[in-house]
Amino acid sequence: MEGKTKRKKITIINILQIATLAALLLYMQIAVKTGAVSKVFLAAPTDIVREGIEIIADGTLIPHFLISVEEILVGYGLATAVGIGLGILWTIFPKTEEYANVFCAAVMAIPKVAILPLLILWFGIGFLSKVVLIFLFAVFTILYNTVTGAKQCKESYLKVAKVFEATNIETVFTVILPSALPSVFNGLRLAAATAFTGVVFSEMQSAKAGIGFLLSEAQSLLNSSRVFFLIILITVMSVVFVKAISLVEYAICHKWRRV
Amino acid sequence: MSLGLSIRRQNKGCETMPDIKIKNINKTYTDASGAPVEAIKDINIDIKDGEFVSIVGPSGCGKSTLLEIVAGLLEQTSGEVIVGDDTVKGTSRDIGVVFQDSALFPWKTVKKNILYGLELSKVPREEQEEKLKNYLELMNLTGFEDKYPSQLSGGMRQRAGIARTLIMDPKVTLMDEPFSAVDHLTRCTLQEELVRIHEKEKKTVLFITHDISEAVFLSDRVILLSPRPSVVQNEYKINVKHPRSRSDDYLVQITARIVADINRGAAAPENDYII
Repeated sequence: MEGKTKRKKITIINILQIATLAALLLYMQIAVKTGAVSKVFLAAPTDIVREGIEIIADGTLIPHFLISVEEILVGYGLATAVGIGLGILWTIFPKTEEYANVFCAAVMAIPKVAILPLLILWFGIGFLSKVVLIFLFAVFTILYNTVTGAKQCKESYLKVAKVFEATNIETVFTVILPSALPSVFNGLRLAAATAFTGVVFSEMQSAKAGIGFLLSEAQSLLNSSRVFFLIILITVMSVVFVKAISLVEYAICHKWRRV
Repeated sequence: MSLGLSIRRQNKGCETMPDIKIKNINKTYTDASGAPVEAIKDINIDIKDGEFVSIVGPSGCGKSTLLEIVAGLLEQTSGEVIVGDDTVKGTSRDIGVVFQDSALFPWKTVKKNILYGLELSKVPREEQEEKLKNYLELMNLTGFEDKYPSQLSGGMRQRAGIARTLIMDPKVTLMDEPFSAVDHLTRCTLQEELVRIHEKEKKTVLFITHDISEAVFLSDRVILLSPRPSVVQNEYKINVKHPRSRSDDYLVQITARIVADINRGAAAPENDYII
């Protein structure tokens, strides 16, 4: 996966997979074009592509796209900073975990989509409520993965730190955190996927901008080609985002870990 | 206690101050059911300055527990450990520890691993570099300083682990089965290197191993611990100059003798008391 140049052989299975996909697309194309299936329910691949080109060309997509990206970057960035920061704090001062864990666990247990109405009341239907929702979607995954990773630090590494008289804080930064990195990155990846759920959902519920807004607008106009195009776009964005995080991990860890 | 061979309790007049003095150390654990378990019992060992002492014993006899108490990593239930002039209360710069599986940090290069202690104690850069050069040379690691532990063989990793400890120049070095994870040939090489370094630096070493012939080959004195609760079952002075030959009759005999004593001890622990 990550940067490894493994030459893959194309097998019978690969051929079958491609054939299945092609058959599916072909079915969509024929079914819609011949009128066997209504345009409301399905979209022909050629229409999806045409629709995509059109909303990019006429300038509809870009501002919405940028707003969604911005919401994600800010919300996710905050979640990363707070999640890892709090994780470090809990690791250095276990009493803080003892105190705060119950609250964090409680907030984490709330289905985030259920508090969207409240967030809208508090922060409006604009940028801020989206950022807060994405933050809530992502922060606990990052926090608990950081803390779990820190707790799984090998006993022998901790002994080494002790023997070399590292202070608590030195131990956390030189030993516990580096050893927790794989777990932290797992959390970041999981949180990235949920951040997308958060942004699309909240934009679909109540917004004046964003990809989720476009999506619900297209749905109400029964423009299924656009719905399909937007779904594909969101999926690609999510995959690219997760991949980007893996690349960061690779850049940091590939030298010493065979990722 | 000792038969025909000249294996005798070392009772010569105390010419040098002991560098490590282990006094009446007891360690009692509480097991899962809450019952107390005596791990080690009334252990007394004096190690002289510059002496190389090995502790052997059946597995689970508390050798590593004893080492961790001496290192200040584990608190004893009662008794006292004195290193140099100071009572051990927690870890200290005077006491270096080499761990079983080298315990190098996989995210640091060999160089950064070896310099870990010096960096923590804020030793100036130039001094670090100079020491690093010496210890890379001493441990035959020159040219590998920028590699990561995962890129090294087990033997190399253990050499780096030893360098990381020795570069701190501790008064005493404790080694917890340092060669147990490497193959036989590498182990022999590492043993010879350790002898060479000890001959050169004359530092006090307390070496834990379950390999009797390793203990006999390396040490000035071998201490045999009994099964739980661990007591000092016997002591063997190895009066053979280095470099030693592994096939030396005397060493082979002592090895056989210790093995026999372990088997005897396992069957019926030899105690001074009859309960």
